[in-house]
Order: sequence, then structure tokens, then C-alpha cells
Amino acid sequence: MIWGAIVGGLAGTVVLTTLLRAASELGLTRMDIPFLLGTAVTADRVRAKAAGYALHFLFGLVFALVYFAVFAVIDRSGFLLGAVFGLVHALFAGSALVNILLPVVHPRMGTTFDAAGSAPLLEPPGFLLRNYGRRTLVVTLIAHVAYGAIVGGFVRLAG
Amino acid sequence: MNRPVRIDGYAPISDYAAIGDGRTVALVARDGAIDWLCLPDLDSASTFGALLDADRGGRFLLQPDAPFESARRYVRGTNVLETTLTTATGSVRVTDAMTLPTSGLAPHRELVRRIEGVSGEVSVRWSVQPRFSYGAVAPRIDVRAGVPVAASGRDAVGVLSFGAGDAVRHDGGIDGRFVARAGSTACLVLTASHQEPLVLPPRAEVEARLEETVRHWREWSDGREYDGPWTDAVLRSALALKLLVFAPSGAIAAAATTSLPEEIGGERNWDYRYSWPRDSAFMLRALLALGCGREARAFFSWLLHASQLTHPEVRVLYRLNGAVDAAEESLPLVGYRGSSPVRVGNGAATQTQLDVYGELLDAAAELARFEGGLDRDHARRLAGVVDHVCNVWRQPDAGIWEVRSDPAHFTQSKMMCAVALDRAVALADDGALRGDTARWRRERARIGAFVETNCYSEAGRSYVRSSDEDVLDASLLLAVLGRYDEPRSPRLLGTVDAVRRDLATGPLVRRYAGTDGLAGEEGAFLACSFWLVEAYARQRRLDAAEELMDELVGLANDVGLYAEEIDPASGEFLGNFPQGLSHLALVNAAAAIAEARA
Repeated sequence: MIWGAIVGGLAGTVVLTTLLRAASELGLTRMDIPFLLGTAVTADRVRAKAAGYALHFLFGLVFALVYFAVFAVIDRSGFLLGAVFGLVHALFAGSALVNILLPVVHPRMGTTFDAAGSAPLLEPPGFLLRNYGRRTLVVTLIAHVAYGAIVGGFVRLAG
Repeated sequence: MNRPVRIDGYAPISDYAAIGDGRTVALVARDGAIDWLCLPDLDSASTFGALLDADRGGRFLLQPDAPFESARRYVRGTNVLETTLTTATGSVRVTDAMTLPTSGLAPHRELVRRIEGVSGEVSVRWSVQPRFSYGAVAPRIDVRAGVPVAASGRDAVGVLSFGAGDAVRHDGGIDGRFVARAGSTACLVLTASHQEPLVLPPRAEVEARLEETVRHWREWSDGREYDGPWTDAVLRSALALKLLVFAPSGAIAAAATTSLPEEIGGERNWDYRYSWPRDSAFMLRALLALGCGREARAFFSWLLHASQLTHPEVRVLYRLNGAVDAAEESLPLVGYRGSSPVRVGNGAATQTQLDVYGELLDAAAELARFEGGLDRDHARRLAGVVDHVCNVWRQPDAGIWEVRSDPAHFTQSKMMCAVALDRAVALADDGALRGDTARWRRERARIGAFVETNCYSEAGRSYVRSSDEDVLDASLLLAVLGRYDEPRSPRLLGTVDAVRRDLATGPLVRRYAGTDGLAGEEGAFLACSFWLVEAYARQRRLDAAEELMDELVGLANDVGLYAEEIDPASGEFLGNFPQGLSHLALVNAAAAIAEARA
């Protein structure tokens, strides 16, 4: 059953990443998760993208295992339940994870308290990620719901 | 030192200087306004487009509060611009650059304006009015980490003020003002992002990047190998051409702008932010004359790569990323001094223009001579192109000038088909190309017979524009440059004389005397003027070549740049700017004279 979570986490992250990239190409958002994550570990743009994709897939797996733990506790799983988890996950990401926690731990992320200093700052995402485009929240919700549904579905199939 | 003037809000085209980073180009007016900047790339939509609509286009203004005069120059050997603005109370020096990325987290694109107080005190005001999508979007402006940010869809720009006063947000813009005193330094930075969060750089990194940018350009300039007359003009042309090289692909844009008019108030307004394979031979010769082997190789590889999808046909133009779509549309902008329509895309993309094959094969021959041969894959594809020429040379086409009237049998198109076959046979003789050389020779002879029978006027003692039109065309000069025949053949000597006699006004040569399917007139075409110089040089009429070259070099603007055309009556620049073909033709003309004198 745990293999379902692992495979689902990888597949879900592929879909989530693809959806976010497509939304970016369509001009719906400036959100770029690999860039945001990668610049936390390196200032080099190319390396940042590579590291960012690796970190994003790692986090995709970690979250899938968290989903799996909750599925195990409540002894239920499936596409729909996964989608609900994805929705909650997206709201958490937009309101707390990326908006509050990421700027705290990200060495190059600006906050409302920063002025230009000695290091380059990344534009902070703002509440519900609206700084990166007003449709960013909608895009993020859809992408995470898809991710959750895939994880939930794979866990159910493996179970 | 001049007092800058504007007519109805528009600076003369010659008042602009170009800065860029190998991905996009900004035009800086003599009065300190940046009226043109497309982001993130040269062929993207404009963010500052006041060049084409003074009210709606958007700009980055920076100028003294009081009346002022200005003088400017490029920092030696660079594409970094220095403008000195002088008022009754003092003067400031503005250094403008699009910085080149260095190691570390730099903005996606960065425009830096450093302001140094030179003497006295000058009250300076600045205003950033970004208008995304060619002025269609007045963005919402918010503050992120203390920095005003304008965003729309995939794009955002932020304005950082370091010692240049507080940035004040208002509807549609970000303004500030400050007093520059002698010895003080301030810095304004436009940071831009595309499909990613903005990077907001610290001042120390901006200043370091600016220095590094100057160093990089100088290093590149020092690597140029040209050793001949008009060195300054040639080096500035090389730097202008380098601005038009789209670094991500190696493609070279024809110009940095769209729709600067060939006639003020007229409809001859075209988008030149594409790469024309036609320019390939001129480009290869110029790049190799300048010692830019790397750029020459990259451009030729890009060209063959881009034309892969349409092989063996070579399209008239390609996007800078190699795509073939260039659908033409008009934008709801008033145009430079009312010159509408403002076009993006280029309808010429779907035309048939046969001369392109001559230029392509001539470029291949130049590269083969430089490299000692051709890449095997390139050679195979070029052989396919040569066979295609044998099949299509009998067709009428739109010609080098991309006329919008009915297709015709243009003489220069046929001549360049002959040149294509000449080069192919020569390459085959050297073992660089394999194919049906007997057929290539046979078709070459047939083209020659067609041209000599149908495209020469005994009365005018010159070749003529087409088999159906007994008028002159300056493109016939390319028969000398492309070595269609012995340069000093009586017919080519007569043609060059006729072009000078009938199409030139002073040093300036018009393109043609016939019709082109468009209303209105245009100015004299600078590339044709330099082609005349080169034709003289190839015909060993060196005194005439040098005299004409001196006059033409004197017609550049104050920083050494050229537009596409000049109005012979007023001397006003016309057409897109800076124009690659004008600068290419200058370099090749100077190199031809140097070679002939050697």
C-alpha cells in the first residue's frame, strides 16, 4: 500500500508541475515552485532550477506519505478523498506554507519588513499567492486537487 | 551639446541610442527618456512603447526639472551609454545599461540608470510608466518588500531607487525626484521578470554588474580583428550588430523596433524584429571581417536549423526562436508621429523571394572558406536547397524589396539564383558539396541566358529591375557584390553608373524607381548607399568608393548608429532603428575598400 503512495506522489507531482507550468505559459501566474525552492539553496539560476525540481519531487513524495498516514489512520482512501486532501493542502500552502513559512526559512525571500539590503531578494508571494498573479490561487487549487486525487487513487489501487 | 526637441511628443529617430543585453534592446532618447523596451525578449510585446504612441505606450523618463541641454556617447568599446544633462545650475551624467547576468541571483532582465552629479546642483525627476502588451495594459502597482511592482499576467517589473528619492506610486506609474549634487551618485534599477517571481537586487550587486557589463563589452570589442579605415564606425557597427544578436538562439534580428515609418505619416511601417536569411551572406562576410568566427558559426547553424522544417524551401524570415509563424496584425496605437498602422508580425513571411538562395549559398561558401569545409549534415541539406533552386528559378517572386504588388521576374532574384548555383558548383569542385553538378551547371547557363536576354537595357546601358519593367533598381548592385559576373564587366560597370546617376541624391541611394503596391514615397535606403561604395571598391574605383564612404560615415547619428533610411531632403532618419543591414553594409564596404587597398 505504501508503494501506492510513493508512485502516486511521483505521478501527482508530475501532473502538478505540468499544470503549474502550463498555467505560467498561458499567462495565468508567475508562480515558479522549482525556482522558489531552488533559490533557497543556491543563487545560481540554472542550478536553482535543477535543485528546485529535485526538492519539489522530494516534497511531493513526503506529502504523499503524509496523505498515506492519514488514509491509514482513518482507514479510508480514494480519488475523492485525495482530492479533498489536495484542496486542504493547497489552502495550507497558499495561506501559511509559502506565504509565511517559506519567507522565514528562505534566505533570499523578501518580506513586508525588508528593504533593499546586501543580498538579492525574491518577491514574496503574499496571502494566497496573489502577488504572483490573481489567478495563482485558482491554478494552485486545481493543481493540488489533481495531485491529491492521484495520490488517493493510487493508494486505493495499491490497497 | 544640444537642447533636445520633440515633435508632438516624439523625439527624432536619430535622437535615440540603443542599449541591450543580447536578449532585448532599449532605446534611450537624447532627453533621457527610454521610449522603447520589449520584455523579456526583443520580439516580445513592448513594456515601454512611447516610440509608437506617446500617450499610451509607456516610458521611463529621467530628466532635470529645469530646461537642459544634453550630450552623450557610448562608454568606449561598449554598449553602455553616457548622457550628460546640463542645466543653468549644474550637470549630471546618466549611465544607462542593460546589465549582463553574472554569477549569483540576478534579475531576469535588468535596466540600470546610474546618475552622477558632475557639477553644481540639478533637481532631477523620474517617472516609470510601464504599459504591458504594447500599451494595452496599464498595470496595477503594488509594493513588495518595500519595492513598487507593476505586474500583468506573466510579466512584472519593479523599480528600485538607491539615492534617487522615494518612489511614489500613482495611477499608471511610479515617480520620484531628488537633487543630484556634484560628487553624489544615485541609481535607478528596473528589474523585470517573466513567468517567475521578481528578483530585487541590492545596490552593491547592481553596481558590480554594471562594471562587469562594461568590462564584458570592452573585452568583446578588443577581440575584434578589423584593421582598416573608418575603424570607429566599423567598431560601433559591430557593437550595434552584437546588440541585434539574440543570444539564446544565435539568430540576428534585422532591427530592434517595429513600425518606425519609412515615410512620416505613411503606411510603410514594418516589424523588423525577425531574422532574414537574406542577410546571411552580408552577415557572414561582416562577422568574419570582424573576427567574429563564433557568432558567424552560430548564426549559420541557427539558419540551417531554423529552415529545417521548411526544407528545401527557405522562408523569407524566421522568428528569433526559429519558429516560422509571423502573422501580421495592426495594433491600436497611433504610430510614430501618426504613422499608422503599427504592425506586429510580418506578412512578407509567406512571400516567395528567390534571391535568398543566392545569399544562403554565398554565406555557405564564405563559411567553408573560413572553416576549411562544411559540416556533412549542412552540406547534404544545402545540396537539397540547390536542387530546389533548379526547380523554382523560373517562377516570379516578390523580390528582395518584398513588394506587395504582383509577383514579377525580378532581375536580382534571377541573378542570385545564378549565384547560388555558381557557389554550389565551386563548393562541389572543392569537395565540400555533393550533387548533380551537371544539372547545376546547365541551369546556371539557362538563368544567365534569361537575364542577359530579358533583363538588360541597351538604351540605358544597364540591367533593369525585372524582365517586364525597364526601370532601375539598386538591388542590382548586389550582382557585383555577389559576383554574378566579373565585377568590371561592361554591363556591371554600366549598371553601377546608372544607379549612381538615376537613383542617388548626393551620397544617398534610393531603392528603386518603380512601383511596389504601396501608397506614398520613402527615403533613401542606407544599405544601398553602402552597397554602392562596395560595388565601387570591387570594381577598383577606389577614389569614388572612399569619397562616398566618407560622406556616408558622416551621416550616422551622434553615437554612430543608423536607421534603415534617410530622407535626402531633410537628412531625417526614417525606418526601423538601429538597422542591422545598414551597419552590415557599412562594415562590408569598409572591409572591401581595405581589401582593395591591401
